[in-house]
Amino acid sequence: MHEMSLVRSLLAQVRELAKAHGGAVVQRIRVQVGPLSGVEPLLLASAWEQLRGEAAMPQATLELEEVPLEARCRACDGVFQPVRFRFRCPLCGSSETDVVRGDGVVLHSIELDDAQEGAALCVE
Amino acid sequence: MRRVITVERDVSATARMLADEFRRAMTRRGTLVVNLLSAPGAGKTSLLAATAVRFGRRQRMAVLVGDIATDRDAQRLAPLVPTVQLTTGGACHLEYSLVERGFHALASDALDFLFIENVGNLVCPSSHDLGEHLRVVVLSTTEGDDKPGKYPKAFRTSQALVVNKIDLLPHVPFSIRAASEDARAIQPGLSVWPVSAVDGSGIDAWCEFLKKERRRLLAANVEGARSKP
Repeated sequence: MHEMSLVRSLLAQVRELAKAHGGAVVQRIRVQVGPLSGVEPLLLASAWEQLRGEAAMPQATLELEEVPLEARCRACDGVFQPVRFRFRCPLCGSSETDVVRGDGVVLHSIELDDAQEGAALCVE
Repeated sequence: MRRVITVERDVSATARMLADEFRRAMTRRGTLVVNLLSAPGAGKTSLLAATAVRFGRRQRMAVLVGDIATDRDAQRLAPLVPTVQLTTGGACHLEYSLVERGFHALASDALDFLFIENVGNLVCPSSHDLGEHLRVVVLSTTEGDDKPGKYPKAFRTSQALVVNKIDLLPHVPFSIRAASEDARAIQPGLSVWPVSAVDGSGIDAWCEFLKKERRRLLAANVEGARSKP
């Protein structure tokens, strides 16, 4: 269960971004996960619930988007979605493939609100 | 006013960048870094002990041992090779920062091989780049040959599979072929090394493979130096 450490890292990055954008209040965080991300979305969401308070972002919501697993064939350059983690290229049969999507935890975007005066700031 | 800032960056990107730097530094030193992953009890420590005995004084190796609570594995290895214990304090995996600290604690810069024995767990460690050149997953015959498909990330991100405890094959329902086929469907380039760390079978071939990987690293170093302007 390494979702807690991932969320801590995510919060630190979001805090830096908000700071770089003038200390605006973070309203929404969009994160993409896939079948090879090595995280369970439910556990990620519950780690978020536990940690967002101590990160002083009680107003922010975490939006998890589940993306499919995608791989690209080095031989024919075709992109395909492996079924049951079988990575042989269905187009040309090559076994030389690289995962291009669905194997990481990606911070897609954050939504900031500049107008909220007096709200808990997300930066110290 | 609301505005959306598009980031599109992996949360682990910074950690990966640091791990990459470490990998490059180890390449320049000619040290092959090997990250060993397995479930608890698959025999990572026994494999390292057998490897250390086989290498003897001919290869300079050291081990960073990750454990949640005790230093039992480090105590087993310390009489054989320079060993540093990395205690995670409850965490289920090693992260690069611990490896960096452990490497500096080793205080030995002339190494042919640096082994990292990860925390026994086939899930979380597979998400963390420790700066290794070679990731090896160890599967023992007592765990069952259906495990690769159950832990796809550990196998997809590894370059070699060690099947340990082959001395027990007459007593357990395990097929090396079935395990290899399952693992290679996920990671077609995976090389498979059946061994018994207890009776020594397969250890010579495994050690030759490690030496070959290190020679490749040294050759890449020479190539890199040549291609510099």
